[in-house]
Amino acid sequence: MEYDIIEQVSELAVSGSPLEEKLEKAVALLADYLAFDGCAVLLLDENGYMRSVAAKCPEALPPYRLGQGVPGLAFTGGALIEVHKEAGDAAWEGIEDSGLEGYRTALAYPLKEKERTCGVLFLRARAKVRLTLLKRQILKLAAMQLLILVKSSEVLNDHHRVYSELLEMQQKLVSSEKLLALGDMAATMAHEIRNPLLSIGGYAARLKRQLPPGSPALGYLEQMGAEIGRIEKIMNGIIRFLKDNAVELKTDDLHCMIDEAMELFADEIAVHCIKVDRRSSGGPLPVLADREQMKIAFDNLIANAIQSMEKGGILTLETSRAGEFAVAKVSDTGGGIDPKYMGYIFNPFFTTKKHGTGLGLPIANSIIMRHKGTIEVRNEGHGAAFIIKLPVAGAAAPNSSRHETGEAV
Amino acid sequence: MKKRILVVDDEEGLRLLYKEELEDEGWDVELAASGEESLDKLEKDSIDLVLLDIKMPGMDGVEVLRRVKEKWKDLPVILCTAYPHYKHDFGTWASDAYITKSSDLTELKQTIRDILGKKP
Ligand SMILES: Nc1ncnc2c1ncn2[C@@H]1O[C@H](COP(=O)(O)OP(=O)(O)OP(=O)(O)O)[C@@H](O)[C@H]1O
Ligand SMILES: [Mg+2]
Repeated sequence: MEYDIIEQVSELAVSGSPLEEKLEKAVALLADYLAFDGCAVLLLDENGYMRSVAAKCPEALPPYRLGQGVPGLAFTGGALIEVHKEAGDAAWEGIEDSGLEGYRTALAYPLKEKERTCGVLFLRARAKVRLTLLKRQILKLAAMQLLILVKSSEVLNDHHRVYSELLEMQQKLVSSEKLLALGDMAATMAHEIRNPLLSIGGYAARLKRQLPPGSPALGYLEQMGAEIGRIEKIMNGIIRFLKDNAVELKTDDLHCMIDEAMELFADEIAVHCIKVDRRSSGGPLPVLADREQMKIAFDNLIANAIQSMEKGGILTLETSRAGEFAVAKVSDTGGGIDPKYMGYIFNPFFTTKKHGTGLGLPIANSIIMRHKGTIEVRNEGHGAAFIIKLPVAGAAAPNSSRHETGEAV
Repeated sequence: MKKRILVVDDEEGLRLLYKEELEDEGWDVELAASGEESLDKLEKDSIDLVLLDIKMPGMDGVEVLRRVKEKWKDLPVILCTAYPHYKHDFGTWASDAYITKSSDLTELKQTIRDILGKKP
């Protein structure tokens, strides 16, 4: 039956396979049915090239630009183009298309939605092929079906994207509310808890010094001192995290910040046999930042990376520029983050470590947020990767700084 | 003569702790429970260093620091803060050191030794 092909493509359309696979199968069916050697779907990409998304072709297609070759002309013209290599076909002679070498028939059909063309169905045959009227009509129908395939998958992708953006935004909102509530608490805590702690800890230490050696109470006091030290460590973390330090933004070089943060870890890196791979795009990376604060953020990320590689590994620190953002990436080979914890690691007090406070990442996150930057995490290679993006100084926001280092771009 | 430290803190427990610990270190220690009292003491006694709490009822540490530096420009002052990494610029007057309050007094003691010299 002549219409079988339409039925087959329709079946493809409703199947659960990914778009690429559907298109691949569809072009193969079409080539077969119409007795062409090659059949491809080309879509316009953002650089003005017609990108092949599915092809059943004996040899690769040359890169077509808009208005170039048979597919390019069909796209810009918005109408079917059909050329034959035979005496009297002036079109064949007039078209420059390296994709036609070795072929005698070429045909391009625009994939058009109302007046907007988004791609082309391109067919080539080594032999001379003349399509019957029926086949031409079927070709037209098939082209429509391909268009529907492409469009519906675009809509679906948009859906997914919007959904995940919403989800992400909601998560951010929830956590910033949590932060606000905690903020007041921390200020009070700093004063009301630190003094009594100091007193208890200080006297415990004095007592310890006054006891005779060998006294069993020495151990108790030792324990008390250690526990108080632990509470103090948590408190410092909380305060640092929540205190609304107005960040003092100056133009500063991101490469330097990371290098300075790294200096603190020289010993630990040596002890744990960690190899450091420092990669940076040449030239300064000027960002508007509070150097002391950003160092705290990087300290926390680097500390985590090192802690994940007790038995050695590679710590990679990458700095580069991507458009209006300066990007820093801290990655390790420490096994990464258990996917079931991914949603929690930025929550205050979430820790999987025996002596962790769970404040390292929330601190880093709040500092980066105050810099109007972003932090992302993913498991990559043999470990975790944290990606920090900060706006490049002078790129978008006006540079309010008086202290100019690095060249503003 | 022993060098003399003035400890200014509104909490009695802490004043006594500082006094005992710093005396063990070999310094002379005077105490003041408020900003106002500390300025009185500074007028009367000869003091070599002031250890100053920031948060006190009445005149706070920042204000005391300002007045001290106005009158005794070269008198060293150590500010004790409850905030870690609290490096703010208190107007024109900078203290000589900032210490985060901690039950481990090692850093405080070291800072005092650095400022006053090894020997009391
Ligand atoms: N580079 C990493 N590799 C593997 N797991 C990580 C990494 N960074 C963070 N994590 C996970 O995220 C948790 C939270 O990290 P965060 O820095 O907030 O606190 P912590 O490291 O546990 O405590 P602290 O920072 O006080 O030492 C960690 O306990 C760990 O499970
Ligand atoms: Mg950590």
